[in-house]
Amino acid sequence: MSKRKTLGFGLGLRNEYYRQILEERPAVDWFEIISENYLVEGGKALYFLDAIGEHYPLVMHGVSLSIGGSHALDIDYLRQLKQLADRVQPQWVSDHLCWSRGNAHQLHDLLPLPFTQESLLHVAARVRLVQDVLERPIVLENVSSYVQWTTSSMSESQFLSELSYLTGCELLLDVNNVYVSSRNQGFDPWQFIMELPHERIRQIHLAGHSDYGQYLIDTHDQPIADPVWSLYSKTLSYLGPTSTLIERDDHFPPFEDLLSELEHARAIANGVISRATL
Amino acid sequence: MSLSALQTAFETYLTDGALPSNELLEQVRGCTALSALEGLRIYHNAYRSRLLAVLREDFPALQQWLGEESFEQLALAYFTAWPPRHFSIRWLGEKLPEFIGSYIAEPQLSPIRELAELEWAFTLAFDAQDVEALSLQAISEFSAEDWVSFRVSLTPSARWLRLQYNTLALWKAAKSGDLLPVATQPAGNRDCLVWRHNLVCQYRSLEPEEASALRFFVEGGSFAELCESLSATHGEQAPLQAATWLKLWVNEGLLKLRATIHE
Repeated sequence: MSKRKTLGFGLGLRNEYYRQILEERPAVDWFEIISENYLVEGGKALYFLDAIGEHYPLVMHGVSLSIGGSHALDIDYLRQLKQLADRVQPQWVSDHLCWSRGNAHQLHDLLPLPFTQESLLHVAARVRLVQDVLERPIVLENVSSYVQWTTSSMSESQFLSELSYLTGCELLLDVNNVYVSSRNQGFDPWQFIMELPHERIRQIHLAGHSDYGQYLIDTHDQPIADPVWSLYSKTLSYLGPTSTLIERDDHFPPFEDLLSELEHARAIANGVISRATL
Repeated sequence: MSLSALQTAFETYLTDGALPSNELLEQVRGCTALSALEGLRIYHNAYRSRLLAVLREDFPALQQWLGEESFEQLALAYFTAWPPRHFSIRWLGEKLPEFIGSYIAEPQLSPIRELAELEWAFTLAFDAQDVEALSLQAISEFSAEDWVSFRVSLTPSARWLRLQYNTLALWKAAKSGDLLPVATQPAGNRDCLVWRHNLVCQYRSLEPEEASALRFFVEGGSFAELCESLSATHGEQAPLQAATWLKLWVNEGLLKLRATIHE
């Protein structure tokens, strides 16, 4: 079991909970923000960001980088992201291994890449540019997917591993996304995790999904499902302590429910770690 | 198929509303849980649902006026005409009031567009630039020279609308979950301001006289010039009326100091 710097157990910062967080200072070790929600000139979001940032470590998580897009990188977006990072002083900055913009449109979705040599070289060049602008390694997350491309010559986890090796980028392992994609595409989620370079995993995401029987959709509007908890436990037994974050983006429950889920994650981690040290 | 060609084919499918091309379908490896077409459809539906949800959130009164189905038709036509181009989905509705002009015919067009403009003004005010609003404390420290020469502008979050219809009443009814009144056109236009003060969006209409004075003031007239301009209608009471309005505007967080004679 490797030793890595961990922030502990965090939650996604959402405006539904701003006031409660500031007033009650809940036992959350850190918060992750959606970067785009704060790329604005002023108002409530930036006010609470600054106020909450005085009390908790923050991490920036973006959805618009489109690192795999064949369009030119949006330098204006990157500059704004850098300015936000200068303001927030986040522990790290992450986005997704995907594309979200076409030639003419912003598609506002996390679209899957074909895992080819062409994609690898294309994405690697863009990762280097992004890291130069941001002056830090970017942390990239595996996405949930509903199609796989016939041209792919490697798995997503092999692609992430190669990309990290080529660029020094770090990885955000979304355990729910691994589970969702594995159910939709019929692969072994554990093999996916085993193929990742463990020393490069900076953070874990946990979230809920919607089960349509035949397939799953990554909706972030449900409690975390039992198979995802099991996969998380197994993952920690392999990785050791790793910064863990729970995302919730719709059907927002009372904040206490999210704290209970966070406690559950802590309990799993404590159980795994204490077993490992026996 | 190259990365670029694949993404172009996928983008076309997501945005044009038709079936995926055979070329795109051939690129997808179907599996037991999801066939190629089913997998692609998930993305196709998610694209529209996501955009629609944002537009519904930004234009709730407009949706209540039109009804869910007509609003959705308007939204889908709008996405085709003005596909999202900004990295932040927050800007999705920027051109909707303008688009309504080409989509809806009179007599509905004008009141519907005005309602959309009002709702978009709230979206703009919500996260507009933060500035230090002119305060009563700052005014109390003005020198005699400052009083003569200070000039102001509206706070950057403020949007000034000229309403021809009972749009505020429509918006308020929607906000309260009440049935919308019939759109009517009162005599004369009504000035309305939408802005943000202490993190909260505000709005109010202005009587013509106050609107005229505020416009004169924020367009660069000094306080002394404002008093002078009011003397024709208020005589000796002009400075008192100007001071009363000034206190109101300052308390509402509407003004930002532009310059004093010493700058």
